[in-house]
Amino acid sequence: MSRRIWQPFFALILLFGCGREERAGEQSRPVPQTAATETASTPTTGDWLVMHELSDPEQLNPLTSNDASSSAVLGFIFESLLTRDPRTLELKPLIAEERPEISQDRLIYTFRIRKDVHFQDGQPITGEDLLFSVKAIKCPFVNAPFLRVYFNSLVDAQLLDPYTIRFVTKEPYFLNESVLGGITLLPRHYYDPENLLQRVTVRELTQDPGKLPSEVKNFGDQFNRNYNRNPMGTGPYEFSMWKTGREVELTLDSNYWGNSKAGIDQPHVQRLKFRVVNNPDAALIRLKSGSLDFMEVLQPIQHIRGTSSERFKREFQKYEYFAPTYTYIGWNNDHPIFRDKQVRQAMTYLTDRKQIVKSVLFGLGEVVDSHIYLFRPEYDKSLPSYPFDPQKALALLNEVGWRDTDGDGVLDKVIDGKKIPLRFEIKINSGNAVRKSVALVLLDELKKHGIAASVRELDWTIFLNDVKNHQFDAVVLGWQMSTTEPDAYQVWHSSQAANKGSNAISYKNARVDEILELYRREFDAQKRIQMYKEFQQILHDEQPYTFLYVSKRVSAVHRRFQGVEVFPDGLRPIDWWVPLAQQKYVSTVTAQ
Amino acid sequence: MSRNESSPASFESAEFETATVAVESAGGLWSDVWRRFKRNPIALTGFYVVSILAFMALFADFLANDIPYYSVYKGKSYFPIFRSYVVGVKLGRWPAELLNVDFKKLEGAKSIFPPIPYRPSSISLLEPLEPPSAKHWFGTDKLGRDIMAGMIHGSRISLSIGFVAVGIAVVIGIILGAIAGYFGAWVDLVISRVFEIMLSIPTFFLLITVAALLPPSIFLTMAIIGMTSWVGIARFTRNEFLRIRNLDYVTSAIALGVTDRKVMFKHILPNALAPVIVSVVLGIAGAILVESALSFLGIGVPAELVTWGSILHEASGATFAWWLAVFPGAAIFLTVLAYYLVGEGLREVLDPRLRGLR
Amino acid sequence: MVPTFVGITLIGFLIMRLAPGDPAELRAAGGLGAAAGGGISVEKRGAVDEAMAQWRAQFGLDKSLHVQYAVWMKNLLTLSFGESFKDNQSVWGKIAERLPVTVRLNSWSILVVYLVAIPLGIYSATHPNSFADQVSTLTAFILFAVPLVWAATMALVFICGGDFYYLFPPGGLESLDFSDDWSVWKKIKDHAWHLFLPVVLLSYDGFAGLSRYMRASMLEVLRQDYVQVARAKGLAERVVVYKHVLRNSLIPQVTILASILPGLIGGSIIIETIFSIPGLGQLGYESVLARDYPTVMALFTVSAVLTLIGILVSDILLSVVDPRIVFGRRLQ
Repeated sequence: MSRRIWQPFFALILLFGCGREERAGEQSRPVPQTAATETASTPTTGDWLVMHELSDPEQLNPLTSNDASSSAVLGFIFESLLTRDPRTLELKPLIAEERPEISQDRLIYTFRIRKDVHFQDGQPITGEDLLFSVKAIKCPFVNAPFLRVYFNSLVDAQLLDPYTIRFVTKEPYFLNESVLGGITLLPRHYYDPENLLQRVTVRELTQDPGKLPSEVKNFGDQFNRNYNRNPMGTGPYEFSMWKTGREVELTLDSNYWGNSKAGIDQPHVQRLKFRVVNNPDAALIRLKSGSLDFMEVLQPIQHIRGTSSERFKREFQKYEYFAPTYTYIGWNNDHPIFRDKQVRQAMTYLTDRKQIVKSVLFGLGEVVDSHIYLFRPEYDKSLPSYPFDPQKALALLNEVGWRDTDGDGVLDKVIDGKKIPLRFEIKINSGNAVRKSVALVLLDELKKHGIAASVRELDWTIFLNDVKNHQFDAVVLGWQMSTTEPDAYQVWHSSQAANKGSNAISYKNARVDEILELYRREFDAQKRIQMYKEFQQILHDEQPYTFLYVSKRVSAVHRRFQGVEVFPDGLRPIDWWVPLAQQKYVSTVTAQ
Repeated sequence: MSRNESSPASFESAEFETATVAVESAGGLWSDVWRRFKRNPIALTGFYVVSILAFMALFADFLANDIPYYSVYKGKSYFPIFRSYVVGVKLGRWPAELLNVDFKKLEGAKSIFPPIPYRPSSISLLEPLEPPSAKHWFGTDKLGRDIMAGMIHGSRISLSIGFVAVGIAVVIGIILGAIAGYFGAWVDLVISRVFEIMLSIPTFFLLITVAALLPPSIFLTMAIIGMTSWVGIARFTRNEFLRIRNLDYVTSAIALGVTDRKVMFKHILPNALAPVIVSVVLGIAGAILVESALSFLGIGVPAELVTWGSILHEASGATFAWWLAVFPGAAIFLTVLAYYLVGEGLREVLDPRLRGLR
Repeated sequence: MVPTFVGITLIGFLIMRLAPGDPAELRAAGGLGAAAGGGISVEKRGAVDEAMAQWRAQFGLDKSLHVQYAVWMKNLLTLSFGESFKDNQSVWGKIAERLPVTVRLNSWSILVVYLVAIPLGIYSATHPNSFADQVSTLTAFILFAVPLVWAATMALVFICGGDFYYLFPPGGLESLDFSDDWSVWKKIKDHAWHLFLPVVLLSYDGFAGLSRYMRASMLEVLRQDYVQVARAKGLAERVVVYKHVLRNSLIPQVTILASILPGLIGGSIIIETIFSIPGLGQLGYESVLARDYPTVMALFTVSAVLTLIGILVSDILLSVVDPRIVFGRRLQ
């Protein structure tokens, strides 16, 4: 009786298991013999790029989305006034005709926009749309509080003529041009068809929300609710569909306004698909089996072991490059143990950073000693790196009074009349295997030298809360830096230590404060570099953080894509294309 | 249908009706049970496995440790492992020359080490992810920690989670079940509603919610598993109490004026325990499975602790390192299997109806 | 029914709320990506407290707990689950999108388990203690003891592409180029191929439980007096077993259905996560981590409703199948 049940099962396995060849290739295109005229250097349109996303975008609303997946998708659909040259990172005009005019007092920015730009539905843009975009950002009822803070210093915006806009800012700040240049251009006729924001001015929007007319609230509600799955902008790719939890698809707009125009990116891939695979191991498997073309982030282990077969090397190209994030151990400078800079220095001497990069990161990183991104001119290369030196560390600790007086294996010291053991807790957030390893390695080393540290893993939001409220002895965290001009004010200025600011370790140094303030008003790049060099030297001596490393990222791209290059900001799929002979996917809608 | 994730003791065997079991020999009920249990070779094997695991858990510090049993250094002899216990409870101190010393590298010391000369937490960055070898019998993980040491010490966690979780479940289950079955009427009605609610809660989801949101702690995990899995035991207890309550000896005890509490726990309970015992054994196995699922997801286990589930969690990130998956997976599997076999064996012995067919 | 419903929702509500952690914080940090991947963006950390307060007020999180619960219950009565914190989508919409997937996965699993376990149980009961019985018992136990997380990971690594064999897809519900204008047969094949492994993994441990239960149940019935009577009357053994015994021993199996339904959401969490299947389990897990209160509450509620439905259904089925109840009614 039971045997009869099993037979159909085996049959099923055979039936479905043999589908290998068919599945792996998806819909392959027969190779046309006329490929002879194609040269490897003329970009051809066509084919699809299937990219891996670790999570589904939360929503595709150009203003309210706040997560990485949404940004990845929206970056192809929308454009802004200015953009950055991918190689030099200099600001350059996109929707604007040129970089803005800045007034003498550095408070007024005037932009002129191009007249030949149109949206994906064909409608040409005017200054109206730009003004609307600004109003939408400033509207307090739009669910974008985290975007709005960037624009706190913007107090007014007005159209001088249909294609010229004038911005007024509150105080001089050299990054204002970049911020204003980053305003996303939204089509008013699409996002505000009833023109609800017409009567309110930008200046009014910066004032008391209670006084605003009800249309403004209506606009906010509508905008938050109705525009999360149907973005439309001026960019080269149009939104095509979104299967929730599975994939988002964008198609090349054949009528893109920037086609064949100088200085504008000309994309060639016919379709972009962002495929969601939550599990990185499953993602690698899909990459290998052909369902993904591009994985932006390979885990270190996947890089070392999972992607070295001959077959993999034949089909994919890996790129290794620095990602602008660095990881650090933050010592609570208000904690009785960490008040002395010698203790903090000792901790740095006890962290074998080189070995961590080698073993925990599998070499995918580099030790850093500063808050500034490695490749910026502001980075001070002359700083001597703290080596791994436990003897020196112990000497430093002894110097400030830490000894094991009771033979229990743990150093102790009398502070404020009480004998305190050198015991503290390092907090980390859950979900990050690398940081956990770093903490555990540190722990192990510390134990060997009489320091009883422990690790506590917390859920992300609880962790963030504790960090903000300074409820920690030490934390392992990372900062994302931008590859463009740095501004360390928020993290290092003493004023940011109160009120749950980013200076969570309560670092206070008068000279550093001074430098940070002057820096913001300095419009001369060379002078800024000098200021920051001094700033880094002070930090180096004081070790408020133990700076760990800057990570390297490894990406894998299917070899059929040409034009793949690593830029300071990473890879740019918008540049890629596939020669006709190697194109894998065919769109049923005929391309140009 | 997933037993692995649902409440451990919610799996219910065929309804039990134990008559007060007739004793076959003069040795008392339990020696009788043991004799009959021994006749089942499979169940007996399970029992031996469980005992071995218990031994391993109890003596983990002596089986895998990086400090020796006995060491002769500079003319004096020491017993470091014992000493570490003493220092740990603050009743002694390390002599200066032995403070935080690495016994393996100590010059001039002659030491006898435990069979596995590693602690589960000893990190060795120079030997990450090594396959099984003479040096590390079960290989190492990504931080160079010895897997076998991790397995041995991990048995402590797995077993204690099982025992504590089920212990909590038993206490809650027996109390509620007894009250419901003894008093009947509206008390039973209310408590049965509570049963229904508990059964309807998506337990695994609840577990994840609590374990993911609160700071990870083994005790918390144990407590939660216990607090969500008592319903099966409670129902058995209730049914038994309902049945036994009407027996003559009970009604006469009540008539004689014995207090309710005494009747419940001294007279009825001992006879109602049979199905509970089986549930307990199965429940332990279930709790171990649930814990492995939670650790696999990376929640519920504190960062420094090495458990079978946490090793498995690492395995998912390094799939070529088969030893990270095979050994803990096998350990969980064998442990769970052993408990099931013991549970089945017990059921066959304790359930009089099945006995007739042997 | 009602107290159960209230009880469950209350528990769900309390747990979400009393747990530490602030969803506003998560929005500020740009979702969970920052936790796992790079660091926090320095710029985004700028004065966002005011922004978070605003956000909290918008979702009514600044009111006291009882008020929040009352508001939620009131909304519920108007069948509105509110909007998700993560993406402002209607929670019901998100659930409705994923419900069919989970239901499909679990229905197949339940079906497979019954199809395999019942015959197995019958065979064991009719040939007790035979070699086959013992082997199948042992196999069932072995399957029962294999941890799901292990089996699933091993499957993913070894037979889903990657470095070893490619028998099944490593996840998802349908192929990349699935299109609506495929033939019905092609669509069915594709879905079956994708679901095969998840269903098998979800079911294998049920084989043990249910087959043992079936076996015990049948053995119990076989010992009853009326079976002896039927045999004495001269009925063929086959008829005795399949006509009388089977019917009566199937009855308790029906009640198990009621206990399965609450597991629907929790049970598939692991499978859905490992195989990237967009079902309710995955939604539940992500929502918990993202502290998306409305969604978690909604899932608890849906689970409560499913359970109550399950109890109802199994009561109905019971009354249909159990001859004592049926005949009892007829006699009246």
